[in-house]
Amino acid sequence: MSLAGKRILIAKPGLDGHDVGAKIIALALRDAGAEVIYTGLRKSPQYIARVAVEEDVDAVGLSILSGSHVDLVRDTVRHLREAQGGNIKIFVGGTIPQEDVEPLMTSGAAGVFNASQRIEDVVAEVGRLLDDA
Amino acid sequence: MPESQAGVLDATARRELAREISRLARASAQSVLRAAPVPMVPPARRIGFTGPPGVGKSTLVGKLVERRAAQGVSVGVLAIDPASPYSKGAILGDRIRMDQASGDPRVFMRSVSSRDSQDGMCNNVADILCAMEAHHFDELVLETVGVGQAEHAVKALVDTVVLLMQPETGDAIQALKAGILEVADIIVVSKSDLHGAPKMREVLASTVRFGAQRAVGWTVPVLGVSVETGKGLDELEAALTAHAAWVAANRTAAETQARRACYRVQDLVLRRLDDQLSALSPADYERPVAELYQRVLEGLRQT
Ligand SMILES: Nc1nc2c(ncn2[C@@H]2O[C@H](COP(=O)(O)OP(=O)(O)OP(=O)(O)O)[C@@H](O)[C@H]2O)c(=O)[nH]1
Ligand SMILES: [Mg+2]
Repeated sequence: MSLAGKRILIAKPGLDGHDVGAKIIALALRDAGAEVIYTGLRKSPQYIARVAVEEDVDAVGLSILSGSHVDLVRDTVRHLREAQGGNIKIFVGGTIPQEDVEPLMTSGAAGVFNASQRIEDVVAEVGRLLDDA
Repeated sequence: MPESQAGVLDATARRELAREISRLARASAQSVLRAAPVPMVPPARRIGFTGPPGVGKSTLVGKLVERRAAQGVSVGVLAIDPASPYSKGAILGDRIRMDQASGDPRVFMRSVSSRDSQDGMCNNVADILCAMEAHHFDELVLETVGVGQAEHAVKALVDTVVLLMQPETGDAIQALKAGILEVADIIVVSKSDLHGAPKMREVLASTVRFGAQRAVGWTVPVLGVSVETGKGLDELEAALTAHAAWVAANRTAAETQARRACYRVQDLVLRRLDDQLSALSPADYERPVAELYQRVLEGLRQT
């Protein structure tokens, strides 16, 4: 699966301070050929949306371990629309309980990944979702 | 500096410029040549920051841009990072060091990968800077990793080149050998809170003093700067202002245009040359050099 030429923003909204997972996925996406931008910890959905538009990314990967993922995804979707980035896809990764997957998808996430998934599978799925675009 | 709305982008303009930069960064030499000429606008003041990997360029740019924006100055930033030679993918890590500045409405910030370009720039960088300029920023800032030819490209594209060097390295002699110091208008010893900074400053200052005088009437300042403590930032801003005044008095717009046009043509021709060379097979290389030379020249003429 090649992500050549794709641009992806890896962002950490919310208050948790762990970004090992975010960095691992960033490196895996790079190795698949993507250009990856990382925001750093504790960014607001508004800031993330602005960076996504300015960097003209194809997708934003939100890494969330703090538990408020549904609100954060909804806010990010709203701010992306306001910044005219409504076409940018959103992926969510982290500790997401199974019952939250459905609400996340209806809030506008294109894909939801769990921390227990193999990184190769995550990269392949991101590639597949971006290819449909 | 006057408070103004020039270079303050609304959502639509921000989106448009972001898209245009992506288009240009991917555009082939032919399609750039076909495109309509960029409209003339009053050129922004262009500043380039270059130096070895990890020397502190993004951190310094982030801090300076934050200060400029607070003074009412609008700034467009283009940060170029190298791509991985294996996957052609890249982690574009400059932005994370500039996050204080990058939420400001007066700031537009974009990271690009140098992808397969030879000189550490991205493809069509000259056109990208023009596209940014068309949005009337007061200043444009270009960050590039100093590798080989990059410094000379930066020199052609900006008005003021700031070269960063790290304390406690043997870099002064290396840089002198490579001719890197010659492109600098201002030299900064970064991370001056660290041990070894005064010594490095001394070495660089004497190197510059004894080096060939490059520009009449401009003495390259060697400044110690620490973003960590804030020391030296005022001096750097003063030096930037002084160099802008020197440029205004000593360099004509025609000279600047000529230098940029020259870089642009060279960049386009070198890319065509790369295409020609990569089309040659191992069997081709068994032919005499004179024959290959002729064939490549003809290939260049045909397109
Ligand atoms: N002590 C100290 N560290 C600094 C200072 N400025 C930057 N650094 C650190 O130096 C490291 C590299 O900083 P960057 O700003 O990313 O350097 P860069 O030159 O942009 O790096 P590349 O773009 O990767 O070539 C980071 O860990 C910074 O925190 C400073 O003034 N003092
Ligand atoms: Mg940098």
